[in-house]
Amino acid sequence: MQDRLEVLERAFRDALREAADLPAAVEAVRVRFLGKKGELTALLKSVGALQAALRPAAGAAINAARDRLEAALAEASAGAARSAEAASLDASWIDVSLPPRLFPRGALHPVTTTRRDLEAIFRSMGFTVETGPEVEDDRHNFEALNLPADHPARDATDTFYLPGGLLLRTHTSPVQIRTMEAVAPPIRMICPGRAYRKDLDATHLPMFHQLEALVVDEGISLADLKGTCAAVWSRFFGASVAIRLRPGYFPFVEPGCEFDVSCRVCEGKGCRVCKGTGWIELGGAGMVHPAVFEAVGIDPERYTGFAFGLGIDRIAMMRHAISDLRLLVDNDVRFLEQFAC
Amino acid sequence: MLISIAWLRELVEVDADPQAIARALTSRGLTVDAVTESGEDTVLDLDVPANRPDALGHRGVAREVGAAFCARLTPPRTPPEASGPPADQEVEVTIEDPALCGRYTARIVRGVTVGPSPPGVVARLTACGLRSINNVVDASNLVLLELGQPVHFFDLDRLDGRAIRVRAARAGERLVTLDGIERELSRGMLVIADPSRPIALGGIMGGASSEINEATRNVLIEAAWFPPAAVRKTARALSIVTDASQRFERGCDPEAPAQAQDLAALRLAELSGGRPAPGQVESRPVRPASARLTVRLSRAAALLGYRPDPAEAMSALAAIELDPRADGDRIGVTVPSWRVDLEREADLVEEIGRALGYDRVPTALPPSAPRESVRPPAPVEDAARDRLASRGFHEAITYAMIGSGEDERFVAPEAPAPIPLANPISASLAVLRRSILPGLVRAAEQNVRRGASDVRLFEMGRVFLGRAAGELPDEPLRAAFVWCGSAGAHWSGPSRPADPYDAAGLVEDVLALAGPRASRARERAALGALHPGRSFLWRDGAGRAVAWCGSLHPSVASALAFAEPPLVGEIDLSLLGPELPGPVSAGPIPNLPAAARDLSLVLARATPAASVVAALARVASPAPATFAWIDRYDGPGLSPAEVAMTLRVILQPLERTLLDAEIEAFRQALIAALSTVEGVRLRRTEP
Repeated sequence: MQDRLEVLERAFRDALREAADLPAAVEAVRVRFLGKKGELTALLKSVGALQAALRPAAGAAINAARDRLEAALAEASAGAARSAEAASLDASWIDVSLPPRLFPRGALHPVTTTRRDLEAIFRSMGFTVETGPEVEDDRHNFEALNLPADHPARDATDTFYLPGGLLLRTHTSPVQIRTMEAVAPPIRMICPGRAYRKDLDATHLPMFHQLEALVVDEGISLADLKGTCAAVWSRFFGASVAIRLRPGYFPFVEPGCEFDVSCRVCEGKGCRVCKGTGWIELGGAGMVHPAVFEAVGIDPERYTGFAFGLGIDRIAMMRHAISDLRLLVDNDVRFLEQFAC
Repeated sequence: MLISIAWLRELVEVDADPQAIARALTSRGLTVDAVTESGEDTVLDLDVPANRPDALGHRGVAREVGAAFCARLTPPRTPPEASGPPADQEVEVTIEDPALCGRYTARIVRGVTVGPSPPGVVARLTACGLRSINNVVDASNLVLLELGQPVHFFDLDRLDGRAIRVRAARAGERLVTLDGIERELSRGMLVIADPSRPIALGGIMGGASSEINEATRNVLIEAAWFPPAAVRKTARALSIVTDASQRFERGCDPEAPAQAQDLAALRLAELSGGRPAPGQVESRPVRPASARLTVRLSRAAALLGYRPDPAEAMSALAAIELDPRADGDRIGVTVPSWRVDLEREADLVEEIGRALGYDRVPTALPPSAPRESVRPPAPVEDAARDRLASRGFHEAITYAMIGSGEDERFVAPEAPAPIPLANPISASLAVLRRSILPGLVRAAEQNVRRGASDVRLFEMGRVFLGRAAGELPDEPLRAAFVWCGSAGAHWSGPSRPADPYDAAGLVEDVLALAGPRASRARERAALGALHPGRSFLWRDGAGRAVAWCGSLHPSVASALAFAEPPLVGEIDLSLLGPELPGPVSAGPIPNLPAAARDLSLVLARATPAASVVAALARVASPAPATFAWIDRYDGPGLSPAEVAMTLRVILQPLERTLLDAEIEAFRQALIAALSTVEGVRLRRTEP
């Protein structure tokens, strides 16, 4: 019996080896040896024919062999399953070096993202965002801003005129006037928007984007202007920038100034971008001219205010290293898609 | 304004190097844009603000330099000795209208010899950006550049009647100006005339008839003060801008003409050997009083953000010759005649502030003042931008001005006429747009010309719809898009060209920003620029058109460089409601199984699919029913006038599970209801 078992087990192991990792072949081996008509089953059945004294030992030996066979089969079929899965995974591989199927990705214009980022900073500092019409009347664009008819500073703003005494606003300042007409101080606002001037060359477009800020309250001074500029630009450029105020002339402010930020390219040492000065001119600013307050019925003795204005286009160009202003209105997809979001 | 450093040093005793002078001027508000070499001289390119005409001459700049460096100004040189008959025996001067001239002075210099100027004068003029003409003309330019006061030289012997009249032009008068152009004058223009005719445009340009030429021997020097408005009006009407007109328009020093006469006589004598006649002929109907102003130090502190030291403030004002007198908190000043910009207290605060330097201003933050916006931007504006960009569209910016007639087919026939610009920059930017699309389609075309195949652009902006004359126009905020090429391309398969349903889907995406449940009727658009059979229009509850889209009309597209008509659309965001919709209230989720049945239908092409759904939606259903088109087929097996479509009906019971019999009965009722719609029949029944 022992001999027969050994032969059988040897045959089983050979068969299992031949079956390799094929699930069907492993199953065939199981049927051949452990099936109802299998070889080991037949051996077990033959135990009954032995002498009674030999039966328990033979039975135990066969059952032990059966356990070994079953364990070997379980291992083989698990291995077969693993390799079958591996083969199936292998067959369904894709080339991950090929580009994915992207959802189409558009882009916001750099002028839009720049405006939004500035708006967010001002909003967080308690400024409201105000709007106004792009077609304006003379009062809101000029008169109330201390720019009476025949004022020489009107020459600097080449105005597009429309029928009926209307015009395309030359700056977003009329929104300041409209807001001061609508509400009493305290006022803390910005007005981003489009403005128009009859000017078209390498550094000017007839339509451009401005953002102006206005703060009117009791006790507002140039110090608040300086502090606000410093806070806004430090946050916008994400680093500490120096702010410089220089005297400058704008009819609607007095004292008036230009405000510069330290050049971020050379960090103030002087380079091509800042023309060697270490400073970049950002815009005009100053204390609201008493004549402007008088035009909107605010008492200039009680209230003071500061205003400043800047060109969003220029800041977008600085921020994104855009070399040519015209790219902003050229609408070339090869330019725009670089700002995909 | 180009300023010669060598010249500056003749007028003020300053040793500082040019860079230091440039920095000092910039920090005082006279920004130096560039410092360049010109021969042996150094030249400052000065950006003089519009309110500082006093700095449009070397002497005015010297005053600022003197104030900055506490340096003394050089006194003017003595004019040459006069000889011969006095000037008032040669010429008389009359100002007919004081509104046109506040002061007119005339002197005579005899015996000039016209010839070239010496090299030093030529170099100095060159440094200041002027060309040397001859020694006489150059003398007048030297006066202009030194004092900022324009002077004009007439050839005395070519004046008719030896009488100068400053008067308003009469209608129809003509004058050939120095530039050789014959100008037709209109009534009221500022002219200098002899008894018979105009001989110069006062404060702007001389006339050819009395021009200095090589034969000139005797010169009449004009130095005058013309009111800014008078010069401006005439210069604008004739479209002339000269060095003289710019200075008079901004406001010259009313005391400068006499100094200018002295300097002109001196220069003529030096350069051309002339001898001045004794005396000056002058008419001065208006003599302005010198203005007195007061500045409070407390006010200066309120505006500057720090309290200036009283002694420093006094010396700052004294340095610019304001003759300050302290009186407690107050400082009284007398405004010198050349500082036409100093009109009120705030102006003096600026003088103190810029003299002491803006670097002294501390930093602070304004107190918090929370409030609502008066006119906030529409919240849907940025939401629509994000949505369009997230759908693969690139944001464009086109001009609000377009060519006349360009938007004609993009607006409804009843739209108001476009608003024309009175002074357009070019014919292609002549009127305000009433639709964003013409400009945006042009931008897309540019991209196609550059070789792009798939172009998706959008723009957000205002359009301008005129109202009554003088009234501000309506400026609705619009979003527009143009879509050329595929609906999305990938290497894995052929790309599908975008079609009007893609465009309509994009429109509904944006409209959904105003609330996914806002009901809007979709219909066929009738806009000239759109393909009449392939375009959509949406109306809001009030019947107003809120959006339209579709294929660009083939006749519009073929006039541009498009191989296939692109898809375009425009959405009136200002009609989407001023606020974004509030929070959605969550509804129950059905926990009973839904039943779906498909109906295969054959529709006549003229039958709107929506009419079928509308009819079937009226059939009483055992549970809430929804309808969705899931398939479309045309081709073999159907007549060309027909199309097969599959409609899926979903019954979603909320209270109890439906019985098969109920569902089948409903399906039969739907089939029966098909007979109420023209042009539809059942193709086959699904199990």
